Amino acid sequence: MGGGFRVLHLVRPFLSFLPEVQTADRKVPFREKVIYTVISLFIFLVCSQLPLYGIHSTTGADPFYWMRVILASNRGTVMELGITPIVTSGLVMQLLAGSKIIEVDNNVREDRALLNGAQKLLGILIAVGEAVAYVLSGMYGSVGQLGVGNAILIIIQLCFAGIIVICLDELLQKGYGLGSGISLFIATNICENIIWKAFSPTTINSGRGAEFEGAVIALFHLLITRTDKVRALREAFYRQNLPNVTNLLATVLIFLIVIYFQGFRVVLPVRSKNARGQQGSYPIKLFYTSNMPIILQSALVSNLYFISQLLHRKYSGNFFVDLLGKWKESEYGGGQSVPVGGIAYYITAPSSLADMAANPFHALFYLVFMLSACALFSKTWIEVSGSSARDVAKQLKEQQMVMPGHRESNLQKELNRYIPTAAAFGGICIGALTVLADFMGAIGSGTGILLAVTIIYQYFETFEKERASELGFFGF
Amino acid sequence: MDAIDSVFDPLREFAKDSVRLVKRCHKPDRKEFSKVAVRTAIGFVVMGFVGFFVKIIFIPINNIIVGSG
Repeated sequence: MGGGFRVLHLVRPFLSFLPEVQTADRKVPFREKVIYTVISLFIFLVCSQLPLYGIHSTTGADPFYWMRVILASNRGTVMELGITPIVTSGLVMQLLAGSKIIEVDNNVREDRALLNGAQKLLGILIAVGEAVAYVLSGMYGSVGQLGVGNAILIIIQLCFAGIIVICLDELLQKGYGLGSGISLFIATNICENIIWKAFSPTTINSGRGAEFEGAVIALFHLLITRTDKVRALREAFYRQNLPNVTNLLATVLIFLIVIYFQGFRVVLPVRSKNARGQQGSYPIKLFYTSNMPIILQSALVSNLYFISQLLHRKYSGNFFVDLLGKWKESEYGGGQSVPVGGIAYYITAPSSLADMAANPFHALFYLVFMLSACALFSKTWIEVSGSSARDVAKQLKEQQMVMPGHRESNLQKELNRYIPTAAAFGGICIGALTVLADFMGAIGSGTGILLAVTIIYQYFETFEKERASELGFFGF
Repeated sequence: MDAIDSVFDPLREFAKDSVRLVKRCHKPDRKEFSKVAVRTAIGFVVMGFVGFFVKIIFIPINNIIVGSG
């Protein structure tokens, strides 16, 4: 490998300029990790609520409406970009490294440092690019209205927030916190969204006078203020346009189903060749790739929506543009557009059972697309992320682990019986649950609930591991 | 018919593999499920309310900030 030009080396000159969190040089106690995690979360949440200075307006169609929950983004605030820069750069680097486009030897310390530097640099560049795109596209009013000074101010604020998120995530990853910042921010954003829809004290004027936005608050308010209790109950459970109690119950149901399936796993016995035959197990979960298929599927759909809306705005009436998607303003306001034709329409969940009955092809197409996309993404992801049967077999071999009853050379073959199927079938299950959640009208969208539950589940696994090692530490 | 078989055979094989996988899976019992459900629900609610209260607190703060702007 000597003498060959390597792409990663391009990053070396930039390393000294990138903000960096020092790796924890000592074992950080569990309690300190919790504190760091909570502080990071608060910083993120506060940024999500701080309004951007200098913006003229946030009215008009929001092309990113569909993916804000998934990317922990909040319109008109400092955290407008959310975790997009860091997630995008992470995915890109993962794909490049996994596909061997970038040569990385994880055994070489410098390579790992360069890879991290490259990812961070890319994240910052993406933040800058997105900030500029936001301003120039007129998201905050036309540049003419804003003035050059305000435009630059907005870009600086967005970039700064992007860098903060990158540093917070690195802080947690470098051993100061629990798990990854990305997962924490996504999960919190989704949970907040659901709790808000359940308990929001905000009132909204509809045809029936002022109504509380929160489903639970509205339930009690209606029961107290209405003389006709039966009608009050029915309205609380089935009202349109605002969160209702049925939505809440559907959310709880999806929550329980996801938790149940999380527990499905094939446990393969493994044994160490050394250490006097120490026995262990290697679990292969049904949700082998966890929530990755849904993230990738959502990213694909969101990008398609974005492109389609931009094209529709400029070239409405063109055959290919209409084929991609036709849009119109949502009747319910909120500034979002809804797809009413083309591919964008067919990959959107039908809004109701009545909608399904009216257009069964739409429902069928959506279902097949959802399941196929999740299965394919899941299967592809194991190859790209280094968790395929071959990669796992290599890891176990390096750890001197063998499977009782099988020759060492058969380890990969045995893993191959389970891992690809778990990935693909698990992906399909994830897709099916998402579809089910959306049809039932669960709050926060099926995608969001799945993400939140799988992330929290992982947090508890991390939690237990940390506490176990802590106790073990004291035990010695 | 060969064309149809070439499409359905992989699907049939995949379905068979999936069924075998599910049968082989260890499934959570009631106690295990309850434990995980309660823990995850707590995590869910804690995270949700943390975000909820930050949002509640910032509504008046934002009104002041934006109002003066």
